[in-house]
Amino acid sequence: MKKLFKIFLLLGFLVAGPGLNAQSQNDMRLNEFLVINTDDFEDDFGHKGGWIELFNSSYGTVNIGGCYLTNDPANLTKYVIPKADVLTKISPRQHILFWADNQPFRGTFHINFSLEDSKEIIFVASDGKTIIDRVAIPVEKLDTNVSYGRLLDGEGDLIGHEGWQIMERTSPSTNNAGVDEVPPAVIIKQIDPFGVIMAITAMSVVFLALILLYVVFKQIGKYNIKKSRERSEVATALTGKPKVANVSAEIYAAIATALHAYNQDSEAHDIENTILTINKVTRNYSPWSSKIYTLRETPQK
Amino acid sequence: MDKGIFSLLAENLQHFVQYTGFANVTFGHIIMICIGLAFIYLAIKKEWEPMLLVPIGFGIIVGNIPFFPGLQIGVYEQGSVLNILYQGVIQGWYPPLIFLGIGAMTDFSALISNPKLLLIGAAAQLGIFGAYAIALLMGFSPSDAAAIGIIGGADGPTAIFLSSRLAPSLVGAIAVSAYSYMALVPVIQPPVMKLFTTSKERLIRMKAPRAVSQLEKILFPIIGFLLTCFIVPSGLPLLGMLFFGNLLKESGVTRRLAETARGPLIDVITILIGLTVGASTQADKFLQLTSVYIFILGAASFVIATAGGVLFVKFFNLFLKEGNKINPLIGNAGVSAVPDSARVSNLVGLEYDKTNYLLMHAMGPNVAGVIGSAVAAGILLGFLS
Repeated sequence: MKKLFKIFLLLGFLVAGPGLNAQSQNDMRLNEFLVINTDDFEDDFGHKGGWIELFNSSYGTVNIGGCYLTNDPANLTKYVIPKADVLTKISPRQHILFWADNQPFRGTFHINFSLEDSKEIIFVASDGKTIIDRVAIPVEKLDTNVSYGRLLDGEGDLIGHEGWQIMERTSPSTNNAGVDEVPPAVIIKQIDPFGVIMAITAMSVVFLALILLYVVFKQIGKYNIKKSRERSEVATALTGKPKVANVSAEIYAAIATALHAYNQDSEAHDIENTILTINKVTRNYSPWSSKIYTLRETPQK
Repeated sequence: MDKGIFSLLAENLQHFVQYTGFANVTFGHIIMICIGLAFIYLAIKKEWEPMLLVPIGFGIIVGNIPFFPGLQIGVYEQGSVLNILYQGVIQGWYPPLIFLGIGAMTDFSALISNPKLLLIGAAAQLGIFGAYAIALLMGFSPSDAAAIGIIGGADGPTAIFLSSRLAPSLVGAIAVSAYSYMALVPVIQPPVMKLFTTSKERLIRMKAPRAVSQLEKILFPIIGFLLTCFIVPSGLPLLGMLFFGNLLKESGVTRRLAETARGPLIDVITILIGLTVGASTQADKFLQLTSVYIFILGAASFVIATAGGVLFVKFFNLFLKEGNKINPLIGNAGVSAVPDSARVSNLVGLEYDKTNYLLMHAMGPNVAGVIGSAVAAGILLGFLS
């Protein structure tokens, strides 16, 4: 039975493992791209080329090593993102830029196709089949050095153009809105200046958490009392002694106190031999009186 | 030649004097040292929370020894020993470790045997949000207001944890305020309890708690952790450690770990947290009008929390059958401050009926208050960070 359980557990891990990985890759989004770059950002080689920006929309690190980028729906595994590069681990809510310059020998982030002659961009999971995100390139709308991207990082359709727009300025490797997020505290100050909403919400959540605990332990307690009664009845049937399930804790406390007091009293009034005598020691040898232990050994040459 | 030596000697002495505390002392330092001495006096003479007030009191003195800046000795000077130890407060390492110890020393039996007492622990968190609203009205930012409001949770580690995340500049004042009011629970709570209860209500006798099985005690930290942290994941550091510590205690097979958590570990962290929080009250940072406001709001939050707990019990009693009613004098224990507030319930109860011992009943809402305040801190952290 245990062996069977272990096999199931192992199978569970084997099945769930890739699933979990794919799930985190699912949080990656195509976020912005630039098709024709003549006067925009340049790569480490001093070359200006088209680029594709990906965004990790989750709050966990995502490793995109092994995933694919392609511009061909018939060939989803066109460019495989190398697995061994530590830079493919994308931190939460961070961006990563791929140069679409058809120069893959220049490194992990230079892919093997360019965007000038592409109709769409597709980001594919590491299984080589699951399309995580895709966007059509509106070639006719895009001028030179003008990028196309999501209005808000990671927000909008996965396939359509909802949430996408022609960007006022390019923003490779940074957020598309171009402004820092408003801190939550500032938003709360605006919508709840007197703290009433916060108080009601938070108190409700505190109550909800503790009510749930109450309900669960109320049921566990009931079950426990029922089981205890059942055991007691079985014991009564076997021994013929009265059941003790309904005895209150106060009675137990009283019994325990009485026993404790009795023990203490017993110790306090222990029958002691009042005759003081000096008996002869029956055992003569003691290491404390032994010369072997008190003398140092003679040094040996 | 002789004149040259004397001149050099005088110059050296003058230079040395500039580095002494006497040359750098300000009136603020003197006041803070007096406050530190008062804390130590109260701890030793009155035995008010001595485990906390002695380290904090001495820490206040340590933090207010005047010195020439730039010697890398002050708590706010990066790289100094005190600064490194203070990181445990700023980064929020110490409070979860203290919660581990609290979990390992807390017996949840009273709560498990009568789980409806959990709700009192929730009601008493009203103090946190009452103080939050007042602080907003006084012009504090929501983050600062939340950090101040958590004083009403009457839980030092939680207060330090939340303030280190939301309002690091106020940690010292908030921690000192929280621990001071926890020490003053026997003074603050009884008048509020008496004000909101009738003499008839104070005489209510509660049923003796039933015996709780080992299985229930083991299940409590596991289920408690899962339920609370699935609802409020931001409370994970505190709740996770609290319930983990309790599981170490109740599992029965990790006695050594539980003893370490509730003994040497919590003692070490208490020393470090007390000393560094005390040292963080440097006069130039602490003696400000904001600190006075924090103390006023802290007192208000304790009063609101106590009233919230007591009034909730009265309200709850409306739905309970005769014989199952709860003595509202245990409502105050929902504010946490374990076990002082439960002791206050017992003492006030005994004033009116010398045979009505409420201590065990009050321990239920008392430990529920620990869970409630950690959940409340998690909610505030989730909303405001």
